[in-house]
Amino acid sequence: MTEQASTSARSARPTQSPLRRILRFARKEPSFALGLALTAIILLIALFPSLFARQSPTDIDTTASLLAPSAEHWFGTDELGRDVYSRVIHGTRVTLSIVAGSMVIAAFLGGIFGIIAGYVGRLTDMAFGRLIDVVLSFPPIILGVVISGVLGPSIQNLVLALSIVYIPVFFRIARAGAISEAARTYVEAARSVGLTGPAILFRHILRNVMPLIMLQYMILFPLVLQIQAALGFLGLGVQPPTPDWGAILEEGKDYILFAPWLSLFPGLFIMVSALAVTLLGRGIQKRMNG
Amino acid sequence: MGSYLAKRLVASIVTAILSSIAVFLIVRAVPGDVVAQMLGQSGGAGSQAEDALRSFFGLDQPLYAQYLSWLGGVLQGDLGQSWVRGQPVTEIVLRAFTVTLQLGLMTLAFATIIGVPLGLIAGIYEGRRIDTAIQAFNILGLSAPVFWLGLILLIAVSTLFSWSPPLIYRGPFVDLGDNLAVLLLPILSLGILQAAAYSQFTRQCVVGAFSEDYVRTALAKGLPMRTVFAKHILRNILISLVTFMGLILIQILGGVVVIESLFALPGLGRLLLTAIETRDYPVVQGALLMVVFSALVVNLVIDMLYHIIDPRVRVDK
Repeated sequence: MTEQASTSARSARPTQSPLRRILRFARKEPSFALGLALTAIILLIALFPSLFARQSPTDIDTTASLLAPSAEHWFGTDELGRDVYSRVIHGTRVTLSIVAGSMVIAAFLGGIFGIIAGYVGRLTDMAFGRLIDVVLSFPPIILGVVISGVLGPSIQNLVLALSIVYIPVFFRIARAGAISEAARTYVEAARSVGLTGPAILFRHILRNVMPLIMLQYMILFPLVLQIQAALGFLGLGVQPPTPDWGAILEEGKDYILFAPWLSLFPGLFIMVSALAVTLLGRGIQKRMNG
Repeated sequence: MGSYLAKRLVASIVTAILSSIAVFLIVRAVPGDVVAQMLGQSGGAGSQAEDALRSFFGLDQPLYAQYLSWLGGVLQGDLGQSWVRGQPVTEIVLRAFTVTLQLGLMTLAFATIIGVPLGLIAGIYEGRRIDTAIQAFNILGLSAPVFWLGLILLIAVSTLFSWSPPLIYRGPFVDLGDNLAVLLLPILSLGILQAAAYSQFTRQCVVGAFSEDYVRTALAKGLPMRTVFAKHILRNILISLVTFMGLILIQILGGVVVIESLFALPGLGRLLLTAIETRDYPVVQGALLMVVFSALVVNLVIDMLYHIIDPRVRVDK
């Protein structure tokens, strides 16, 4: 960067573009940079899978069953002769959008109910609190297994299960945030100029609680990804022939010793995605804590 | 202490009752009940047979009546009869629970023995190379899916040592060697993840403690590092470490579903899965109740330990 450019960047600090701020932070924190790079690659794969894998993820070729990784099939083939590389690549969008989508639902519902419970308090808070305690009395994955198992395996039920499991976490974060925000002077000021409850809640408190919810979203993402994969592995998630990382692992588990590539690669993708988001989240957390 | 305990117990009981209602309702949200499934498998039947079976299972009664009669049994330790196996559910669930309990406790021991020392070392040498290495282990351990780790371990031991675990589970009192051989990989795969979690948490505690005034004072007055660590830091982070142990135990309790099904262990998790598949309501309810109950007990015990270790903590004001 030339001298002139760096001075202009410095003088423009308050209005600096978010992208530039992120990149500058990445230069200081190598692990954040790694997380950023990995996330970018994974997002590209999820958005444009056909750029990365030319073969079809669902075409069956029984003459090419269970082939070991080769130049033609980078990750080998499965029992039905499908190309594992393209199944994993095309599964990226399926898996990640289920995880991201369920978490958006959980964050939305948990967030809304959380700030209401925290702001209104008293009976509302107690009633919500009891409900949340009940959900929390089940270990997350058990609840996921039961809900998607009982309702039957499908993408909708999987999303439902994952979002129910994680509503309480967002609820608690939002509730705690709302309680501490409600005690601030600006809320008192808003009330004294005659703003109504809902207006204060959604215009002011929500805006201040939002960063907490977003950070929690990043922190939880790897966990939810793993539970999504676990449910897929148990046969309770996405059903064949749709490619999904957990489901590919499930298909591979009977061939674990003869065709380990069926299990190795989708698991590696799960791990790398979880790693990417974890590194990003840690970086952001570090930044927020100063 | 007495009134605190009482309050805590009441809260747990209320949660337990609400959870039991949840357990009961979840199971009945099934599209297509056990009767439809049985008749479907036997090739269809008239509505008379269907009605007869429904009344045999008590499914013709209103929901609240079904719940109350189930709850009445539960309070007497009777979880009903399995619809599929015809055995008492209490017996089935307890048998499975002992397997899960052994797996859980041994995993907890493994995670503690590996995770806590790693976390302490990383915390003490914050920012050094060894800290970076341990943190890398933590993040990788937390990113790898448990069941995938299990699969990889299975591949690794069979290719490297040409050894594979015995296929049939034996209790520790029947054949201890076989029992441990079967449990080795499940404990490792669950344990590595939890060790990573424990180590990360311990590191945070140590790093946090170093920035506390009492540590700075102790160091400033010239106490050797070793004394400060043993007498001040360890003692102060102990309470957090114990609390975290409970959290880990509950995590393990959840993790067993996948691990037990991967390694074919006859524990609570696999029981739950097979019971869901066969729509064996009483067993699903019993197994779920056992899981929830164990989690509640763990939380209660941790709360009490908290209270004993640090009497300053008085949740009831």
